[in-house]
Amino acid sequence: MDQMPNLGREKEMLDVLGLNTMDDLFANIPLEIRRNTPLPLPEPQSEEEIWADASRLLGANITLEDRPSFLSAGLVRNFVPTAVAMLATRGEFLTSYTPYQPEVSQGMLQAMWEFQTMVSELVGLPVANVSMYDASTAAAEAITCAVRVHNRKAIQKGVVFVSEYTPPHRLAVIKNYTQGAEIEIKTLKHLENGEVDMTSIKDAEGCCAVYVEQPNCLGMLDDTLLDIKELIGEETALIVGVDAVSLGIIDPPGSWGADIVVGEGQAFGIGPTAGGPIYGLFACGDKYIRQMPGRIVGLTKDTDENKAFTLTLSTREQHIRRHRATSNICSNETLIALMGAIHMSLLGPEGLERLALRVAANTELTKKAISSIKGIELVDPGKYNFREFAVKLPHLASEALTYLDKLGVIAGLDLGIWWKSMDHCLLIGVDDRTSESDIESLYLGLSEWIEVNK
Amino acid sequence: MSDLFAFNGAKGAGWAQPKPSIEREILISLIPKKLRRKSLPKWPRASEPEIVRHYTWLSNRNFGIDNGFYPLGSCTMKHNPRVNEKIVQLPGMDKIHPLQPEHHVQGLLAIYFEMQEMLATCSGMDQVTLQPVAGAQGEFTAIRCIQEYHRQQGQGHRSKVIVPDSAHGTNPASASMCGYDIIEIPSGDDGRLDLEALKSAVGDDTAAMMITNPSTLGVFEHQIAEAAEIVHSAGGQMYYDGANFNAIIGKTDPGRMGFDAVHYNLHKTFSQPHGGGGPGSGPIGVKSHLSQFLPTPLAGRRNQVEADPKGVDDGYWYFWQDVGENSIGKVQQWNGNAGAVVRSWAFYRRYGKELEKMSEHAVLNSNYLRHRIMNPDPEIAKKIHVMPLNGAPADLVMHEFTLSLTPLKELHGVTGKDVAKRLLDYGVMAPTLYFPTIVPECLMIEPTETESKEVLDKFASDLHKILSEDPDLVTSAPHTTDVKRVDEVWAARNLILKHPGNESGQ
Repeated sequence: MDQMPNLGREKEMLDVLGLNTMDDLFANIPLEIRRNTPLPLPEPQSEEEIWADASRLLGANITLEDRPSFLSAGLVRNFVPTAVAMLATRGEFLTSYTPYQPEVSQGMLQAMWEFQTMVSELVGLPVANVSMYDASTAAAEAITCAVRVHNRKAIQKGVVFVSEYTPPHRLAVIKNYTQGAEIEIKTLKHLENGEVDMTSIKDAEGCCAVYVEQPNCLGMLDDTLLDIKELIGEETALIVGVDAVSLGIIDPPGSWGADIVVGEGQAFGIGPTAGGPIYGLFACGDKYIRQMPGRIVGLTKDTDENKAFTLTLSTREQHIRRHRATSNICSNETLIALMGAIHMSLLGPEGLERLALRVAANTELTKKAISSIKGIELVDPGKYNFREFAVKLPHLASEALTYLDKLGVIAGLDLGIWWKSMDHCLLIGVDDRTSESDIESLYLGLSEWIEVNK
Repeated sequence: MSDLFAFNGAKGAGWAQPKPSIEREILISLIPKKLRRKSLPKWPRASEPEIVRHYTWLSNRNFGIDNGFYPLGSCTMKHNPRVNEKIVQLPGMDKIHPLQPEHHVQGLLAIYFEMQEMLATCSGMDQVTLQPVAGAQGEFTAIRCIQEYHRQQGQGHRSKVIVPDSAHGTNPASASMCGYDIIEIPSGDDGRLDLEALKSAVGDDTAAMMITNPSTLGVFEHQIAEAAEIVHSAGGQMYYDGANFNAIIGKTDPGRMGFDAVHYNLHKTFSQPHGGGGPGSGPIGVKSHLSQFLPTPLAGRRNQVEADPKGVDDGYWYFWQDVGENSIGKVQQWNGNAGAVVRSWAFYRRYGKELEKMSEHAVLNSNYLRHRIMNPDPEIAKKIHVMPLNGAPADLVMHEFTLSLTPLKELHGVTGKDVAKRLLDYGVMAPTLYFPTIVPECLMIEPTETESKEVLDKFASDLHKILSEDPDLVTSAPHTTDVKRVDEVWAARNLILKHPGNESGQ
């Protein structure tokens, strides 16, 4: 096997150890628990054979490149600059471990410090960490972090209000991560028109944290959210989940009082990649630093007074603090965050704005086209949407998806998967690459479906 | 020094992209005023050549397995086969949305299914989920399943999780996040699990025991079946931390040892590159009584029927299988780190039924290196000030071993950290330092199966050289790295966590 340099040299090495067989190496495993039969697995394959199988299997998938696609729901069919993967997969980055030895890890440490800076600038908060697993775990750990900071003074102990527009898969992650800390998740209500319900905000007074998303999971932006920090006050954390690209044109939550901002970083750096590896963004205000989860890089100096970087605040982390750690996170998504950093630095400020504008333009065009179809109504008419919008169809959304799939169009997400009550609603998502002909295919497909189902 | 934020070229410099399909001014006017961004983030303005050069410069200041020996104990830093990187860039992987209908992703589902089956086979478990995206998340997920199991059995009062004092820090941290109290039991004098200590720790409040085997000392816990018996008779569940799974594949498995749940580190055992700290992938396997609690969905399959669309020509139809109402739900929002799963699938296909050889060579290399270190040539031995002590008191270790540098510290004031830093000057990564904490001045060394005998010989001889060097040279190391010894205390005191911006900046 080409992966093991000592294959065929076993005897030479066993002789040094005074052993006869490879099996002798395992003498400390009692016979009663030994496996005595070969593993029932296939024959070893050569690289060529593996490549052929991988190409055949993955080649059988239908990709988002193959057809017009309006499926987003938090993951983006983006175009990642070619330089990103080429640079990030340089062996020195790709095959390094967590930079426990800063003297030989300055490259990744500096890149992550620069990443922290760009994320901090993007969301408008002073500190960002080196990444969480995804947007959902970032949201969940933002909540546990906020409770640690605010619970002592909170009037509603252990209570967190989470927006009812939080998609169910994220809510499920939040519940798993919070149940052990005895956190009670209450629902933050919204009005019929999608705006946050101010009486529900009033109910949240004195709790540990409020979690909202901007845009919400139906792509709608709510400008009344900008007023809620004033209402909930300093003793309750405002946690905001964002669409990272939208911040090229939309006011960052840090500037309207958010204490912690989380979100999916995937749009910067990597394709949707079947849902992982992606990375979660996590940024916060100064008072949360010592309770925040995850790795963080700080600037320092070496013994010659030269600038140097190192992991810092590790006394929060599991390898030092064990069961009293702020989180169990160890491996994170550094390499994908590096891809994100390279993508962000290639874009620059104006490139970011242009990317956001492209998505905004495609959102407008698609929304206009689809809402003009007789029989289709916008779920949030009159609101500003970014990337996604929901429409109500005359029949089940699942049927529309099946019909359009046969026409070769991925029309979006059946919202009935998230909420049974929305099974007639379709979530349509665009990206920077949505073309006029994509929109036309969706328009024609949905029109035809409505026509044949009259 | 290349400073990213010193790049401040013309506005709009950098990567070219098409214009928006509607004029900028119109688009901005459509955004409600209150919601508009007032000023752009202070990101660099640089062209592609500048960015390529910056990150290449950074990569030159970073050390990976590709640069040299990386004997970081418990992290299993083995070679990452390059074909795997090419495979995950295939559009059928990179351009897939996890919510696409099943008939779009038959190939991916087939790989998921095969990986679930392979991991279950190698570990003696009944059902595997690939959803957890890191080892720590796997631990958390499995303990959540155990927690729900106890609740269902009317045993919700079980509030304690037992871990040995040699456990990885993630074990107590994960259990604690689930709401459990932690009981840490001391290891015996030989560094092994102390059954008497375990007996006195278990009781009606025991929810589970978390343990890795071989232990972090690289020692196989030969009384593991007895330990499982003790925990089970008290009504607790046994959890296997699979960080050291690389040592035992094909030789034994957690199922045989009596475990109920296990996590795998695909980024260790199956070579997903560590990427400077992630991504990882931490699937878990469980015995059948726990499978109803697993996160949802799993990859499932049935025989293909005529009405099915085209599949992958293996006679099966693959689908996402909902785990049901007792499932803990989700731990990651999609279906795990698919990229890590596919890389690991490609890695395992290279070995197939000979995966056992991988573990054999990992253990051979570990024992060989340990022997070389502990038995220097007589000529060299004369020059060494003080030999380290064997941290792992066993004739044979598994995939890793520990050394204690206590004698060196006592006699010459040279610490484990000093030796670790000095090793960097010899062009290798330092071993894991000061872990497990039960071994004083510990160096924990794991060579993996992908290092040649020559590399191991050289490492032993370099270590011996360091033990013969002037202590001042060692305590002031490293000398040849990009920066000298880094002041971690200053970093924590001053907390400069972002770039302050440049004078000339935006």
